Amino acid sequence: VPDLLLHQPHSLDEACATLARYDGEARAIAGGTALVLMLRQGLLAPPALVRLDTIPGLDAIAEVDGMLRLGALATLSAVAASPLVRARVPVLAAACALVGNVRVRNAATLGGNLCEADYASDPPGVLVALDARVSIHGPRGVRELPVAALVRDFYETALAPDELVTEVRVPLPAPTGVYLKYVTRSAEDRPCVGVTALVRRAAEGQLAEARVAVGAVAGRPLRLPAAEALARGAAPDEALFRAIGEAYAAAVEPVSDARGSAAYRRQMVAVFVRRALRAAAAGHQGAWRV
Amino acid sequence: MAEKVTVRLKVNGRDYEGTCEPRKLLSDFIRQDLGLTGTHVGCEHGVCGACTILLDGRTVRSCLLFAVQADGAEIMTVEGLAAPDGTLHPIQQAFWDKHGLQCGFCTPGFLMTVYEFVNQVQARNHQPSEEEIREALSGNLCRCTGYVNIVKAVQQACGIPVESPAH
Repeated sequence: VPDLLLHQPHSLDEACATLARYDGEARAIAGGTALVLMLRQGLLAPPALVRLDTIPGLDAIAEVDGMLRLGALATLSAVAASPLVRARVPVLAAACALVGNVRVRNAATLGGNLCEADYASDPPGVLVALDARVSIHGPRGVRELPVAALVRDFYETALAPDELVTEVRVPLPAPTGVYLKYVTRSAEDRPCVGVTALVRRAAEGQLAEARVAVGAVAGRPLRLPAAEALARGAAPDEALFRAIGEAYAAAVEPVSDARGSAAYRRQMVAVFVRRALRAAAAGHQGAWRV
Repeated sequence: MAEKVTVRLKVNGRDYEGTCEPRKLLSDFIRQDLGLTGTHVGCEHGVCGACTILLDGRTVRSCLLFAVQADGAEIMTVEGLAAPDGTLHPIQQAFWDKHGLQCGFCTPGFLMTVYEFVNQVQARNHQPSEEEIREALSGNLCRCTGYVNIVKAVQQACGIPVESPAH
């Protein structure tokens, strides 16, 4: 690791002011599972790091006013194990339990996961499907963004260099459903395709709402409101799941990488959107590596 | 060079204090500054799990943390497993009994991973399946054994009856 300064702020204002002083050159560090790797591999050489784990109170998990509020420094292990998250948004707890391995989850944070904006990751797509938002702290005040707008492209977010994500907010009650993590090799920790499907049922057994987010195939998770709308008032049958799956497959602009070619990914999107919708409509809740 | 920082932490129940550069990794601090060379450094980029330690009771990879991030923390390394008189910890004994190692380089990381896992399953009074054990071990790489005897060692440590390996 190259020589660097380490700042240890005790408040968000102090952290943002420090980041502002470096004009985009410094990096914030939470769990470090991604950042330290990049430092070690020489992909980044910032003059300074700003620790976030020295700021108290950023890892709380609570339900406040119809909103599940997850502190940005909550570790993926903490989210996965939280009785509150497991009860209120089981798909999120289960998806966080599938990230990497236990040593990654014990250190990596939910906020760090979003701000790294690594496309080959599980939580971003789940949070996009949940209509989650992030609270952002900066020298110009506090603002809120949908997770869908925070993640812009491969490793790119809408954050200014002196802004920090402080909290992830999931509206409650959340629709129920599943996250399917399709992994192409047994030794692979990362998804080739990650599909979240959430539904609400109408009283007559029809679907009132379906949401589908496809992650890990492009720079940012994909939702298609027009395809989701097909489910509104429809019977939850195979024809519907297939039609939505094909709409997503037609719309994705997949990347080719070691986990799958673009053409292969497009086909797998159709398959796993269909399967995830089928599972969600059948009342399943959770996340599975498949 | 950046100004040195002081790191105070408890390792295996003993207080330590050291000064280091902010960029010093916890794995290097444990080995070089504290002289506890039981924690091994394999891949040095968070893949092999040899550097696994317990930080405030949870396993982490010490090669991906800065030493200063452990300031004020309680750490347990492989040196903290055996009793002061050298009696092996039941997990170490299980690795011994089931030949859960060959060259031994990866073993400290495995032992710490298994320590957390066994504590968790015992707290839940749960008998883990082989699949759960293999899932728990994922992220610790062993290039000698093929994992079969490591899984058996974990089963023994969890109190599950297992046949002994052929000699």
